Order: sequence, then C-alpha cells, then structure tokens
Amino acid sequence: MSLLSVAGVSKRFGGIVANRAISFDLAPGELVGIIGPNGAGKSTLFEIITGFYRPDEGEVLLDGARLTGLSPDVVCRRGVARTFQKLRPFPGLTVLDNVVIGALTRTHDVRHARARASDLVRRVGLADKAGAHARTLSTGQRKRLELARALATEPRVLLLDEVTGGVDQRAIPELVRLVRDLHAGGLTLLVIEHNMQVITAVAQRIVALHLGEVIADGAPDAVARDRRVVEAYLGQAYAR
Amino acid sequence: MRGVAPALVFFGAAGLAPLVVRDAFLLDSLVLILIWGASAAAWNVAGGYAGQISLGHSAFFGLGAYATALLATRWGLSPWLGLTVGAAVAMAIGLVIGYLSNRLRGPYFVLATIAFSQVLLIAGSRWRGFTAGSEGIPVPFRPGFWTLGIADKRIWVWIVLALAVLVWLAQLYLDRSRRGYQLVAVREDEDAALSLGVPARRLKVAAICASAALTAVCGALWAQYIGFVDPFYVFSVDLSIRFALAAIIGGLGTAFGPFLGAALITTVETSLRAHFGGIGAGLVGIYLVVYGCALIVMMRFVPQGLVGWIDDRLRRRAVARAEP
Repeated sequence: MSLLSVAGVSKRFGGIVANRAISFDLAPGELVGIIGPNGAGKSTLFEIITGFYRPDEGEVLLDGARLTGLSPDVVCRRGVARTFQKLRPFPGLTVLDNVVIGALTRTHDVRHARARASDLVRRVGLADKAGAHARTLSTGQRKRLELARALATEPRVLLLDEVTGGVDQRAIPELVRLVRDLHAGGLTLLVIEHNMQVITAVAQRIVALHLGEVIADGAPDAVARDRRVVEAYLGQAYAR
Repeated sequence: MRGVAPALVFFGAAGLAPLVVRDAFLLDSLVLILIWGASAAAWNVAGGYAGQISLGHSAFFGLGAYATALLATRWGLSPWLGLTVGAAVAMAIGLVIGYLSNRLRGPYFVLATIAFSQVLLIAGSRWRGFTAGSEGIPVPFRPGFWTLGIADKRIWVWIVLALAVLVWLAQLYLDRSRRGYQLVAVREDEDAALSLGVPARRLKVAAICASAALTAVCGALWAQYIGFVDPFYVFSVDLSIRFALAAIIGGLGTAFGPFLGAALITTVETSLRAHFGGIGAGLVGIYLVVYGCALIVMMRFVPQGLVGWIDDRLRRRAVARAEP
C-alpha cells in the first residue's frame, strides 16, 4: 500500500530531458531520500509532484487519487506540503505570520491559526524570533521557518528540498534532529539532500537520480555503494 | 497608526464637521478629501493588499461616473441604480483585469491596466451618439435623496463619509481575516503562497473585482456631486496616479494610509492651486511641479508611507522613554 506514488513521470524542457520515466512509491510513514548530482532532475520532480509543473507523461497519485493536473494550492490542501530549495519566506511578514498563513489552510479561525502557528514556531526552535521579520533570519533559521510553515498545513506527505544545503555546519545536527522527530511522529517524508552523511543517517530508503533517470532505489548503504551511483557522482575512474 | 483609533478620530471629526463648519469651501474640500480617500482606499485593496499595482483604476472610476450620468440623462433612472450598474460593470472588467494579473506581472500588468483606461477614454470621447463624446455630459440635478439631487454640502459630507467608512471597513476586514492574511501572502510571494494551499489566483481576481466595484461607487458619487462628467478627466492616467499616490504616500496595504495620503494631497494641491494657480499669476501648473518635488522627497525619505513612518516614530519614542 503506497501513500504517494510517482508513476512513469517524464518532463522535457526543449531538448533537455529533466525527468525520464521516473517511478517509485512512498509507503505511509516512510522517509525516502532523493540523491543525485546537480541537474539530475530532483527539483523538477518536486515541482511535478507539487503541481508547479505538469509532466509530459506519467502521473502522481496520493492514496490512489491523481494529483497531476491539480494546481499547487489544491495539491497542498490534499495533503502534500513542500519547502523550497531557494528559500522563499514571506519577507515582509513576521516569523509567526509566515506560519499563520500555512495554518489558515486548515482552519478558518485566525485566532486558532495563531495558536497553532506559535506552537510550531516553538517546535522548530524559533520562539525568540516569532515577532521578527522573516527577512532578518539566517539561512538556517529560514529553513526551520519553511519547515514550520509547511507543517502548519498538516501534510500527509512532506517534501523537503535540501534541508541542510547552505546551512552552517553547526546548525545541521539540529535540523537533522527535527526531521527525525517528524518521521518518528509518523509523518511520511521525501527528502532531497546532498549531504550523504545526513541522508544515509535519516533515510530508510534512497532513490538515486542521474540525468533524469532513476539509477538506484534501495537501502541507504546499498545505494551509497552502488556502482552507477558512485560513477554518477565521482566519474568512472572511482567506480572500481 | 495601524490601529483603529486614528481612523475613528478622523471619521468622527469629518462627521461632526458639518455641524460646526459653515464655510462652503471647507465643506467642499472635506467632501473631496473623503471621495479621494475612499478611491485611494479602494485602489489599495488591489494595489496595496493584493500587490497588484494598477495605473488604470480611473477606468473603474469613470465607469461609475458614466453609469450614473448616462442612466440619469438617457433613461431618467436614479443615480443609486446607476451606481449599482457602474459597480457591476466595473466588476466584470475587474474579472478580465484579474485574469490578466495571472498572466502578466509587474510592469506588464501596469501597462495593461493603463491600456484599459485608455480604451475607455477613447470610447467615452468618441462614441458621440451615446456618451456625448468629448464634450462630456452634465449630470441632471433632480432634487431629492433618491435622485441624489442635494445642494447642501453638509449632507454630501455625510454621504461620502458613509462611503469612506465602507471602504475602510473592507480594508479592516483584510487586516484581520483569513482571506486578508492569504492575500498578503500572495503579494509577498505568490508561489510560496500557492505551496501553502492559498488559492492565489482566485484571491487576486476577487480583490481586483472588489477594488473595481468600490472605485466605481466612488466615481458614481463623485459625478453626482460635481454634476459633470468629462471623459478626459474621469478616464485619465492622472486620476489613476492620484489614487495610487495617495495610497503609497499614506502607506501601502494599511487601512488608514490612503485616507491620510488623500487628505494630504488634496490639501496641498488645493492650497498650491489657490496660491499659484490663478491665470494672472503666470505660474499656471506650478503646483504640479511642487507636487512632483514633494513626491520625490517623500519617496526618498519616507518610502514606507506616512502610517509606517509615524508608527516607527512612536515606537522609537516609546523605547527611548523605557530606557532611563
């Protein structure tokens, strides 16, 4: 039984194939990592799952129902939330109000949304920044803000695009702990991550992409040792 | 200034003014301040809250003005009906412009809105058989409330005050409601808003439609008050800029800002015109120069608008006082 399934998704931009017949499933409660060198098609895949891009072929299903063809806001309301690789907090709003926007997707009551938002802000460790404008936050804090904001929409599946990318080394363990906590709480996660140490530590399964195709899908250590994965990352010379 | 109190004081004072003020010039200024304030506030619903900067809002204003004038002259209908028809037509056009706002962004959207008002200007000034063309149309004066034939400026103050309060309440709704929050999210970052489940496109269209309808109502009452509709004025880019400026100077996306901005602009403009205007003075139009300079100074030193600036001042003073 899969919660989210990506079925034969292809996407071309002119002559470039960003995704070619990608298929994989996420079981409920699973944490799956997506790895691949730059240009492998990871972010394109996220855009397709969340409805920002429409695939040329294939479809994405949530609990058996088609997500493909729905607009991004509807996809979110169906239960798929995301963070952005290039962070996009609402810069002129306070940290709390940023999260309130997410919470308002599930409640019509602004006061209730504020209460929920302030819980989440605390949970991601930004309580002392709640009243600050989002534009004043550091990258690590912005990542946590995006996480809180996405969580506020009460997703069934959460897509994280580069949790630790561009973040101060010292801030990484805290972010990893957050992701682990969410997973332990039963949330299903799909995580794009460049840091192999991080992803092999948190993911139950890893899907590796290269030039738009799935080249490996399995347990983290198996994928990390996979000949094609090593080739893709380091070139053929190292794959011996 | 973001609170409700300053607005209540302003509206309260405006409501009481007719009881003590007898001077026709002052009452006339007050009516205009309230109409321009309401128009700027209506513009602010789309331009400030939804972030859809339009320089074609005179299209809606003119539609409201023409609807009342034409319905009254051609068919002898009540301006209240004209006002409703004007608002409905403006809403329909708002739908089209709202659709465009989902296709065009930034300067391209601005240009499209200007084009809209210019098309209406051409229609208004050339369609002689229906609109009386470039001569414009006088709005018939038929005494009575139903026909809005009111000579007493004090009553006009109260009528346009009701309109001003209505538009202000619409903004207050946006300040506090779920939809208002979501609209601001769309303004800040549309894709991020979409990713959080905000129906961005629908909200933008709704905001533009509401803004259009309210602007048309302002135009209808203005036409009825002034008694004459000139296509080159009501569909002008100048007028659109006036709405935008009042809101920007007062404070974009704040409920009271547009009224503050309109009060300032109208007062400055009226006094400049009075001092430098007269044909004999040889300085016709100098007020526009002063106006432009004032604007540049404003944008340089108070880019966040008066409401934000005053709030900053108050906060700083409070902090200074807290530290002994």
